[in-house]
Amino acid sequence: MPFHEYVLRNAHRIMFLAAQHVQLVLLSVAVATAIGVGLALATERAPRLRSWLLSTTGVLLTMPSFALFGLLVPVLGLGLGPAVVALTVYAIFPILRNTVTGLETVTPAVVDAAKGMGMRSGQRLRMVRLPLAWPVILNGIRVSTIMLVAIAAIGAAVRGPGLGELIFRGLARIGGANALNEALSGVLGIVVVALLLDLSFVLIGRLTTPRGLHV
Amino acid sequence: MSDVMIRLDEVHKRYDGQAGDAVAPLSMEIREGEFVVFVGPSGCGKTTTLRMINRMVEPSGGRIWIDGRDVTDVDPDELRKHIGYVIQQVGLIPHLTVAANVGLVPKLLGWQRDRIEARTAELLDLVGLDPAAFGGRYPKQLSGGQQQRVGVARALAADPPVMLMDEPFGAIDPITRARLQEEFLALQRRIRKTIVFVTHDVDEALRLGDRVAVFGEGSRLVQFDTPLGILTNPADDYVRDFLGSGAAVRRLGLLNVGDLRKPEPADRLPLRVSSGDSVHSVLERMLRDGADRVIIEGESTEDDRELTLRELLMAGSAR
Repeated sequence: MPFHEYVLRNAHRIMFLAAQHVQLVLLSVAVATAIGVGLALATERAPRLRSWLLSTTGVLLTMPSFALFGLLVPVLGLGLGPAVVALTVYAIFPILRNTVTGLETVTPAVVDAAKGMGMRSGQRLRMVRLPLAWPVILNGIRVSTIMLVAIAAIGAAVRGPGLGELIFRGLARIGGANALNEALSGVLGIVVVALLLDLSFVLIGRLTTPRGLHV
Repeated sequence: MSDVMIRLDEVHKRYDGQAGDAVAPLSMEIREGEFVVFVGPSGCGKTTTLRMINRMVEPSGGRIWIDGRDVTDVDPDELRKHIGYVIQQVGLIPHLTVAANVGLVPKLLGWQRDRIEARTAELLDLVGLDPAAFGGRYPKQLSGGQQQRVGVARALAADPPVMLMDEPFGAIDPITRARLQEEFLALQRRIRKTIVFVTHDVDEALRLGDRVAVFGEGSRLVQFDTPLGILTNPADDYVRDFLGSGAAVRRLGLLNVGDLRKPEPADRLPLRVSSGDSVHSVLERMLRDGADRVIIEGESTEDDRELTLRELLMAGSAR
């Protein structure tokens, strides 16, 4: 059966898996954002710990994802658990790094003036530093998200949810009826999900970047 | 004599791991409504001293009184809300509008919205910016001079009795700077704040200050006097060097003719000058020494010529 016919017939299943895929990625990114931004803020007065964290999370990123998923199975079993943990681990580095960079690029004079006006350190962070660093932080979240869309496919190896299932099942019975169509629909689905998510980040960026920054 | 507004008592600063004080123990009193300028070369501790007053730099010792209250141990954030602070780089918050920047301290103090709005408009007006035109703009849309006007308005927002200004006009082009200085002096005549102003520009210090504190190497306070007092009686060679040439002519800028009294007639020795000296430098020296004639030295004594001040003025006149 031709590819488009295969897609139409299986539209329901493909859409379901795509939705699962998106949910898995967004959940992991949300957790990683909390951890990444949190670590960046917590280590502001501990530059050594911060650079150690940056290199460690950077090294984790080089670990083959298939291996990481596999390593987590004995600990967390199959399914959603290991998938979310592994994806979160990958997503931390870009978010942590961009939060650090974003906060560093805030003009010191602006923070100095804010302090001189009597803003407390929490107010300076909330009202001055984070809004100014936000475009850079958001870009880190975007990079992580797009990266996870691809890596999440491997999660199917540990029975994680998402479009990876189509690829793995298709490849497992290659030569069989519609095997190639199945794998291909998974791959294309991932590309489309990635594009849509990227597009929504452009939109979020437009909506959430303070006006004064792009005049 | 007015009350003391700021009193520094043996305030000093030493950074860990550094030999010697960044600021040597310093005591001074600044009166209410007085405009005091700290001047000195880079690294003389003038900015550090300024920043100790609002505790942006925590003093290593000594005490600071503002308006009769010892503020050395009060909550620094609370203290800073009641001290205006203007810095060279302005430091307007880029994602807030001009109006929001100006209204920031009142907002921190919990003022009502309409009170903040009214105050913001009043202040923008005060610094020469039309509130309707500028209130909604963002800092990036303003020129450097306009940004610093907003910086001054922002510092005045909660009507603090004390303003600290760290080279506020330092990064602004000379023409705009001169205008801002003039406008700021006019503004100060109306608002009578107690101002501590840091600059490395002697001319700016002499022009703006009611009193000028000259800082020297090693962060010591060399002289603290009125501009006229400093130009008339420099404390030492360091101050004399720092004032540079032309102090006698510059001093004239601070005297009004109405203040002058007829001098006693006195015989003054003529000043000996060489023919290569500029008329300007000769007049400066005559003014300094009170000489009323010069002898212009020639190749030999027979070639010497004598000119009186009157002849010098007429010969040098542009007409």
